[in-house]
Amino acid sequence: MMNTGLLTTGVLDTGVLDTGVLDTGVLDTGVLDTGTAHAGVLDTDVLAGVGNAQVPLLAAVLLLAGAAKLVFREPVSAPVDATGRHRVIGVPSRDGGRVLPWRRSRRAGVALALAEGALAAALLATPALAARVAVTAVFCASVWVVGELRVRHPGSGCGCLGSLSDEGVGRRGVARAVLLAGAALLALAAPDAGLRVLAGGPLPLALAALELAVLAALSPEITALRRRRRKVMPCERRPSPLAETLETLHASAAWRRHAPAVGAAAPLDVWREGCWRFLLFPARDGGAPADLVFAVSTAERDRTVRAALIRPEPEIPARTLAARQMK
Amino acid sequence: MKPPRSRGSRRRRDREAALGAPPAPGPGTAGPRRPPQRVLSGVVLDASPHLLVLHTADGERRLAMTGETSVRHGGLSGGLAALTAGCSVVVRQAPQGPAAERLWVEPARIAGTILACGRGTVEVEMGPHRGRATVVVPPAARGPVQVRHPRLEPGFLFDAICVRTPDGPRAVRPGTPQPAHRAGRPAAASRSAPAAELVQGTVTWFGDCVSAPGRGAAYPAVDPEGDAGGCAAAPRGCVPLPYLSLGSEIGVHNECGGHEGTVPVTECGCAAARWCDRCVECGTSPRGRLAELTPEAFVALGGDLEKGCFNAVLRPGAPAPPAGPARRRGWAW
Repeated sequence: MMNTGLLTTGVLDTGVLDTGVLDTGVLDTGVLDTGTAHAGVLDTDVLAGVGNAQVPLLAAVLLLAGAAKLVFREPVSAPVDATGRHRVIGVPSRDGGRVLPWRRSRRAGVALALAEGALAAALLATPALAARVAVTAVFCASVWVVGELRVRHPGSGCGCLGSLSDEGVGRRGVARAVLLAGAALLALAAPDAGLRVLAGGPLPLALAALELAVLAALSPEITALRRRRRKVMPCERRPSPLAETLETLHASAAWRRHAPAVGAAAPLDVWREGCWRFLLFPARDGGAPADLVFAVSTAERDRTVRAALIRPEPEIPARTLAARQMK
Repeated sequence: MKPPRSRGSRRRRDREAALGAPPAPGPGTAGPRRPPQRVLSGVVLDASPHLLVLHTADGERRLAMTGETSVRHGGLSGGLAALTAGCSVVVRQAPQGPAAERLWVEPARIAGTILACGRGTVEVEMGPHRGRATVVVPPAARGPVQVRHPRLEPGFLFDAICVRTPDGPRAVRPGTPQPAHRAGRPAAASRSAPAAELVQGTVTWFGDCVSAPGRGAAYPAVDPEGDAGGCAAAPRGCVPLPYLSLGSEIGVHNECGGHEGTVPVTECGCAAARWCDRCVECGTSPRGRLAELTPEAFVALGGDLEKGCFNAVLRPGAPAPPAGPARRRGWAW
């Protein structure tokens, strides 16, 4: 008898085969093949389980980022005029000078938030590879972006969570981006959609929660959020968007009182000193040209508005002025 | 009332019309109080042992040269040989008379974030409105510069007193008294800290006679909205300062020499906001750059362009906040 071990026992137990079962080579190969197949299934299952855990994690991160962009607005909008050029003094910056202000604009923030929401919905609803590839591309690109920001614009925040991310990108920010990109790569192997993973077993969810905790520990926004909840910024130091000032102005009694005299929709000059932002409008005072200046408080709440109508002194003809100086 | 001539004076008129005249400033600081020094800046037209002819913004000016006149060029005593036609100078005049007391020839200062370092050169990003510059660090200056900049690496701050040359700025000595830190890591002032009426810190200078002519200041907290003129990505500095605009006026008191004066804000000082260093010219100042002055304004307020800073008290001059509930503290959202 040339059979060995289990096979031999099996053969003897069944009693079906007698000594005539001598094709041990075939039987042995069959047993070995079955073992390899079991190991392969195990590996695939583990990879699929880890990949599945990344799907709700990535969806949660994208939803969180999108919601934060909508709730925590960037403190300032892009200082660009209608032609897209900088209105700040001097030459526009050569590197990133257009991208960074664009990114801080409200429109860009809303667009990015909607895109992130759409990607999160796709991750939750469908296991389509196209959605996973798009998410992976986004997170891989974010690694490059935060790396560039860290080197070229060290003071600029990434804006990942709206104005909460207004501090310069540090090592933790880069590590977080790398981890998310890795998670997105793992999610490529996930067979299930996010909702199905949520309805499934607890293990992928536990893994996702663990990863989320690690990401939270790497996020400086948690500290910023805690700081933000603590105290109100004094009005003289508080970044106040121009849109907020215009909204306050248009809702004020001073504006309603002087609105008939205002000669233009947009102010001629807007500047700020401490707790006040000033807006200068051309106006008519009894048919004569005048300047109408509004002072709008930049406080967090209970903003006040004051107004003054200024009639410029008529210019004195040069000949009269010379005659006066002679006297 | 005369029609306002400049944007600053027109804004002042409008502000007083809306809020009323500002109250008289408080007593200020202790110590001597002296007026600004007499200073000129311009381009040399002709120079001789007895006469210096300058082209300034107000036209041609003639200054007497005496045996006491000191000429500084590139950190050294330059003598008359340094005064060639076409070079830019800052001249501090004698307290009385038209004589020149001290001249700085082709002064320049490069401060910002390091982008790249080569063999004897440093490429510096000076802020969105000042662009970039490549500073040559000659072997003679390399040692002192490396003492204050032990990590000449991209991302770290750089500040050097330079001399203008046809090949670009050449470093003479470091501009900061302390080792520079990483640009993105200034110890930002507490979010809830109010801006004081008088702020102590360090005042430095920036640019050169060509890029920063006349008397003005780069203020770290210029509002980025509207026509105020601030930089969009300006960091929050380590000194709590109120937002101002181009054309606003700040009062500067030099604690070392006692000179004081009012300077208009002419530029966004987002580069200064990245620094959190002290000046040690006369005692140790609190941390933080309060303003960067143009070379002429810096010398007028008693500064030495080669030293780079003076301990100062700043009066931002922002109008009073609205009275009542708007000032109260509470939850942010």
